[in-house]
Amino acid sequence: MTGMATHLRRGSSLRPILITVAALAVSYAYLGTPQFMNAMTLGAIYALIALGYTMVYGIIELINFAHGDIFMVGAFVSLWVLTVPLGLIDRPINDPAQLTLTLVIVTIPVMLFMGVIGVVIERFAYRPLRHAPRLAPLITAIGVSFILQNIIQVLFGPSPHPTPQVFPRVDVLSIPDINIFDFSIAGGIVRALNLMIILVAILLMVGLQVFVNRTRLGRAMRSTSQDREAAALMGVDINQTIAVTFFIAAALAGAGGVVYGIYFGSVQFNLGFYVGLFAFTAAVLGGIGNTVGAAVGGFVIAFITVIAAQMGYSRWSEVAVFSVLILVLVFKPSGLFGQPLGERA
Amino acid sequence: MRLRTLSVFGVGVVLAASACNPGTATPAPAQSSAASTPAGSAAGGGKTIKIGTELPMSGGEVANGVPTQNGVILAIQQANAANELPGWTLDLNGQDDAVNGAHDAAQGGKNMTTLVNDPMVVGEVGPFNSGVAQVEIPIANAAGLLMCSPANTNTSLTYPPDALQYRTTNPDKISYVRLAAPDSIQGPAGADYVYNDLGAHSVYILDDTETFGVGVGDSFQAEFVKDGGTVVKRDSAPKSTTDYTSLFQAVASQHPAAVYLAGTTPTGMGLALKQGRTVTGFETIPFMGPDGVADLGGPTTQGSTINIAGQAAANVFGTVAGIHDIPDAAKFTADYKAAFNADPGAYSAIAYACAQVIIQGIKTAVAAGTTDYAGIREAVRASTTAAGNSFDTVIGKVSFDVNGDTTSPYMSFYKTDMTLNNNAGGWVWDKQQAFTDPNANGNASPAPGGSAPAASSGS
Repeated sequence: MTGMATHLRRGSSLRPILITVAALAVSYAYLGTPQFMNAMTLGAIYALIALGYTMVYGIIELINFAHGDIFMVGAFVSLWVLTVPLGLIDRPINDPAQLTLTLVIVTIPVMLFMGVIGVVIERFAYRPLRHAPRLAPLITAIGVSFILQNIIQVLFGPSPHPTPQVFPRVDVLSIPDINIFDFSIAGGIVRALNLMIILVAILLMVGLQVFVNRTRLGRAMRSTSQDREAAALMGVDINQTIAVTFFIAAALAGAGGVVYGIYFGSVQFNLGFYVGLFAFTAAVLGGIGNTVGAAVGGFVIAFITVIAAQMGYSRWSEVAVFSVLILVLVFKPSGLFGQPLGERA
Repeated sequence: MRLRTLSVFGVGVVLAASACNPGTATPAPAQSSAASTPAGSAAGGGKTIKIGTELPMSGGEVANGVPTQNGVILAIQQANAANELPGWTLDLNGQDDAVNGAHDAAQGGKNMTTLVNDPMVVGEVGPFNSGVAQVEIPIANAAGLLMCSPANTNTSLTYPPDALQYRTTNPDKISYVRLAAPDSIQGPAGADYVYNDLGAHSVYILDDTETFGVGVGDSFQAEFVKDGGTVVKRDSAPKSTTDYTSLFQAVASQHPAAVYLAGTTPTGMGLALKQGRTVTGFETIPFMGPDGVADLGGPTTQGSTINIAGQAAANVFGTVAGIHDIPDAAKFTADYKAAFNADPGAYSAIAYACAQVIIQGIKTAVAAGTTDYAGIREAVRASTTAAGNSFDTVIGKVSFDVNGDTTSPYMSFYKTDMTLNNNAGGWVWDKQQAFTDPNANGNASPAPGGSAPAASSGS
């Protein structure tokens, strides 16, 4: 699989960029500022999760069905950090420095913790099956998914859990119409929370690109994904490289879990299924194995669902998403940014 | 949970011992004496006879199911203590239809099959959700088991001709009655409250795509338009929805003066409230919901509206399809608190009344010389639904009309008060309203407006 190397051919065509800019402009004109920011935020969250599906597939050709649940565990760990050690309740933090500190205190440990969880899952559930028939690790992944769901269900119970809304918002009962963090563009209010999530996600995604393209470990990942045996012959530590891939994938899912809880306000043990399904769809839509494709796929799916909601057809949003997926796969079976299948032979 | 496991185990034992017929036909009295022997000797104080409950008990449904079942448990405990049925000991067969933390119609169907096959169960209290009732009524109807729901409100469950599809086995035998007012009252009552009491003349309606949510949303919408109000938009979002923000954003430019959440909190309405509040224009306007939103659960009740929504629960209003101001509220509340160390839920007293109706049915049957379980089961069903019968209960005298609806429907109105529970919020009662029996004149489309409200003991 050569997916991870795709973006090396930069500058090969200006067309995708032009299409993207045009699509964003049309969406913005239709949706207006706040709704556009909603779509971008949702897309950023889907993209963070989709990256994990695509990275793992890119390197060991495994559809990691447990990935949605890794994201869910990340959301619960961040809920725990917010409510137990930090002791926060459902009240906004109005001091910018304190708010930033809180978000950093939550995000970094959750990402590290989830990364370790990802490595542990790879070590014990997938590595022993690396040379087994394809079906075996796939079933193991489903097993891991159930194990994670059940652990969380036992620890937290099956009911939805509210996540403290620490980000300042208009107070329901009183005071200012607009809080100090939000601002207005073209008559539409931009919530600082949306902006923060989008920026964090873009930073992480750019960081991932730099890591994959510019570092030794990144090069090891690309070579492993292209030809594992050849990479091993050239001195690449395959086990370490795959472990690093799982670490990054799970850490990004953890970051997704943190922002999901803060943005949507409620987490439940079976959350990973639906969100994971959409993120997986995003990865396939973008061309599974391709990191840029996964990110773009996440935004495409988010815009489809939000546009459906804006048009009043929210019940049809899933139909629309999967119709687009089918259409893309019919005309371009390897996804929007995928490699033609011939190259894999 | 332990209770449930035990009773399911008990069913197995009894079935094995008696080889009793899981019935689609009328139960055969001849077999019941055999069935009663092992359990009767085990119970100690006389023969055991059971009331079933089929309610959502776990996960996000705790605020709904647990206080409702507690009402039944309290009724059983007090009847046993007062020796209401000499020679008999009342027991509970409690079933839980929550799957993954939310009510599930398929699970409800399985549970109802379990209950009808427990020969000692002679009456059932529940279910809580109308979509679950749609699956359960045919099973109970085939077995001739009386269901008394304290909380189902969907109109189709009792109103002909829709209701006939749920009792195809015994179309002439009503086996399902309810003490909750139907949505033909709850929806319009909510609409009138939003239009008149809250003074909001434009509304955004969001339903959860379920039987109950769509039904109550439709009847709310019809009445609100009739009142002269504007429905700026009607949306539907299934319980799998994670992003409600975009739905509210899509309607923000039309500036509705209020929002009606037609559904239940376990199917997403609590989350819709929480996310809706973050959208410009929805921060402070009133949100109103039916009893699925007004669960009366506090901030520490897992999965309750206030628990999920947090500070977003300010300025929220809700209807409960039953009486609040019961004749001896102080005694009931004190007894309930003594038994469960908690405040009664929205449907605790009504579930207690359902259990009382069943207990009185048993009493009458036993007094008439019926001693076999199958005979008592049928006698309870027949006497409850017989024309002219009425029952003294904790919520007052109740009786049921030809369709199985209560002849004295009430609607109670609640609102949130965020200063309660250390500023974490709670529900307070606003007022209640009595309606006339929607079917008193045989009319399937009641009009509770105008002169219909008989009495109002509002605060």
